[in-house]
Amino acid sequence: MQRRNFIKGAFALSAIGLIDPMFLGHALRAEEEAIEMPAEGLLRDYLAGKSAEDGSSIMQLNIPETPENGAVVPVEVTINHPMTADNYISNITILATKNKANKAISFDLTPANGMAYLYVNIKLGQTQDVIILAKTNQGKIYKASKTVRVALGGCS
Amino acid sequence: MELRGIVKILDQNYKVGDIVKAKIIIIHKMDTGFTKDKESGKTIPRFYMKEITATYNGTRVGHFNLDVAMSQNPVIQFPLKVMGAGTLVIDFVNSNGEKAQKSVEITPVS
Repeated sequence: MQRRNFIKGAFALSAIGLIDPMFLGHALRAEEEAIEMPAEGLLRDYLAGKSAEDGSSIMQLNIPETPENGAVVPVEVTINHPMTADNYISNITILATKNKANKAISFDLTPANGMAYLYVNIKLGQTQDVIILAKTNQGKIYKASKTVRVALGGCS
Repeated sequence: MELRGIVKILDQNYKVGDIVKAKIIIIHKMDTGFTKDKESGKTIPRFYMKEITATYNGTRVGHFNLDVAMSQNPVIQFPLKVMGAGTLVIDFVNSNGEKAQKSVEITPVS
């Protein structure tokens, strides 16, 4: 009987020791990091009290209107803006508006890039607007957006 | 897990002063932390490529902060003004702090 109890106890201990931290670790991590990133909040943070200018005249967006797959949506931005040492685009940010996680990428540029251009693949969970924000080193912010119709959503 | 990535210059026969495009392809998951594993039902923790820095002959020419709305295996293209022969070094850091480095030679024709 004693031997049986000992074995039972050992198994129980090992089970707690092995499985529990793994399970708890996952649970804690999910709780800690499952923060929704609303597009409005991200936009407010980016603007920081300023107002965005309409960038549709200087920004050339190349995004498919109806991509085949929401998991891979190519986004290509070209901004017609001088890239001289005292007047250049210093940041390009791409946001989705209706994903659970809306921030895609933020790209810091310098005049060494020569032109303001960015191509990335993003995922979209449903039909929504994609917002492209550009900031100059003088603090001007340009904003442009495009509605993308997604038939088959990428997991987001 | 070793981070895998490729860096290449898309243009050919470029001269000093030209603007070329560099392409970065990273083989990496972009788990959002919202999805659940279908078999076990456990939440898949957030795990993604976080930070990419491009350095050209010691000068920082690009810094990317990626987030989970990027596709799995992210692809990035960015411009670069050729200032002379040298090396474009790309540093990757993922959300677990694992690092990797890739580089490509820039050889303008004269």
